[in-house]
Amino acid sequence: MLIDLDKIPAERIAALDSSGNKVSYGDICTLSAAVKQSVGERSLCFMLVENTAGALAWVMASLASETLVPLILNVKTEAGLLQSLMDTYKPAYLCVPETFALEQTCDSNEVKAEFGYRLIRTANPLCALYPELSHLLPTSGSTGSPKLVRHKYANIEAAALNISTFFELKASDRPLLVLPLYYTMGLSVVFSHLKVGATVLITGLNMTDRLFWSFIKTERATSFTGVPYSFHILNLMRFMRMDLPDMELLTQGGGKMPTDLNLKFAEFCQQHGKRWIATYGQSECTARMAWLPPKWAIEKVGSIGIAVPNAELSLQDSDGNEILTPHTEGEMCYRGKNVTMGYARQQSDLALGDERGGFIRTGDLAYRDEDGCYYIVGRMGRFLKLFGMRVGLDECEQIVQTETGAECACVGTDEKMIVYITEAQKQEQVKQVLVEKTHIVATSFEVRIIPEIPKNETGKKLFKQLPNK
Amino acid sequence: MNNLEKYNEIFANVFGAQPDQLGANYCKENVSEWDSVHQLNIISEMEDAFDLMLDPEDIVACTSYEAGKDILRRNGVEI
Repeated sequence: MLIDLDKIPAERIAALDSSGNKVSYGDICTLSAAVKQSVGERSLCFMLVENTAGALAWVMASLASETLVPLILNVKTEAGLLQSLMDTYKPAYLCVPETFALEQTCDSNEVKAEFGYRLIRTANPLCALYPELSHLLPTSGSTGSPKLVRHKYANIEAAALNISTFFELKASDRPLLVLPLYYTMGLSVVFSHLKVGATVLITGLNMTDRLFWSFIKTERATSFTGVPYSFHILNLMRFMRMDLPDMELLTQGGGKMPTDLNLKFAEFCQQHGKRWIATYGQSECTARMAWLPPKWAIEKVGSIGIAVPNAELSLQDSDGNEILTPHTEGEMCYRGKNVTMGYARQQSDLALGDERGGFIRTGDLAYRDEDGCYYIVGRMGRFLKLFGMRVGLDECEQIVQTETGAECACVGTDEKMIVYITEAQKQEQVKQVLVEKTHIVATSFEVRIIPEIPKNETGKKLFKQLPNK
Repeated sequence: MNNLEKYNEIFANVFGAQPDQLGANYCKENVSEWDSVHQLNIISEMEDAFDLMLDPEDIVACTSYEAGKDILRRNGVEI
């Protein structure tokens, strides 16, 4: 069975949520068998999830059934966007919370109800699905793109093995899962912990909610996995003044964290006998691809570290030759069994096989140091040539953030860089700082004020929504 | 500026709220913008305005205009 779920004692709890619902490993195996029996042929299913034990059970049971192939989506997906995905992919099944309002025509076709979720047969016919296709994830939660990432069962096995190995996960672990199940890193927390028979503490509560903190304390969470934004909130919540003796591991992924905040958590963990592990990953690779071992957390702060076990990172120059010398920038490439098969843009793509063969160009520009630790410089393409000088947009954002404290997003053309900030009073200062640090004439920068920097729900900036001239 | 005016100014800064909007009904449930980030902003403005260092317990309790006043009183601010 997938990640040997049936080898874990059946009565052990796989997931416990902040409403007190529990599912055991046995529950997941039983549900999986039931799904397999009632669905029969391999079918596409839109699974609209909340962060609950029931949703986790349905996701894992579907995957383990190798029969129901889920596209995992936020239950709060905007109705128009959901409809356009339905029109594009025409799923044969829907799996939704019992409280979810459906059109009446759907209501009568309930196949199964369990753990607060209902499985419903739609009027759509079955479509061709590649035999190894395990699940689909959206590439963007909010912009309405129908582009999905196609995963295979071997990706799940590889992610579960690699991640549980380098985090040294064990059956007694009780990871806190605040990242959503429809997000690659959230799912990877589930895969890697169920692989070792741990109990996932799952919640959709807000971090400023009193119940969130009582859940952590009562259930004695042993680890926390977050994106930079989560740690920003934890910091504001005075996490470092809290007494959480069971919390032994903090892990971060989902984008570069500001250096000062990264260092603050690294130092806090070192002083308090906890592990701080920064990671790097992409949804195209079933989440984690690199990790910075805790011994380097402070010394090499900002580095993404080394490849996860059983995988390989490399650098290529613009001619596609491998770069072997340290401190030389090139496009970072990755080889490993967690590399997904490719994208889907329409229903017929679901029949496609593996287009990548375990290798991917990440689109990130990076270099490595003498110890083999990698450092991301920026996205390929996130560079401008101003007066013939190559200027990194991500680097400029870092400068503005560090020097002025202003949150910003840089876009532009080779004519001019457009810097978007939200604080009008810093307009002049931001321009000055950029001129000082880059030594490029002031007319190359235009600083614009907007009410808010557009971001997706994991906090990544949506540059495409900002005019670049 | 007295303490109440200082306190009201925090809500003007965070939500753009006018003093006549503020009262017993001004709370997380009724104010759609009141999410975790806004809640944390209120706390950090309170710390700056009244020179306090508030606890996690205060942050989670800060879910209404009146609750914020209670937090200030608990921390020795007369309001």
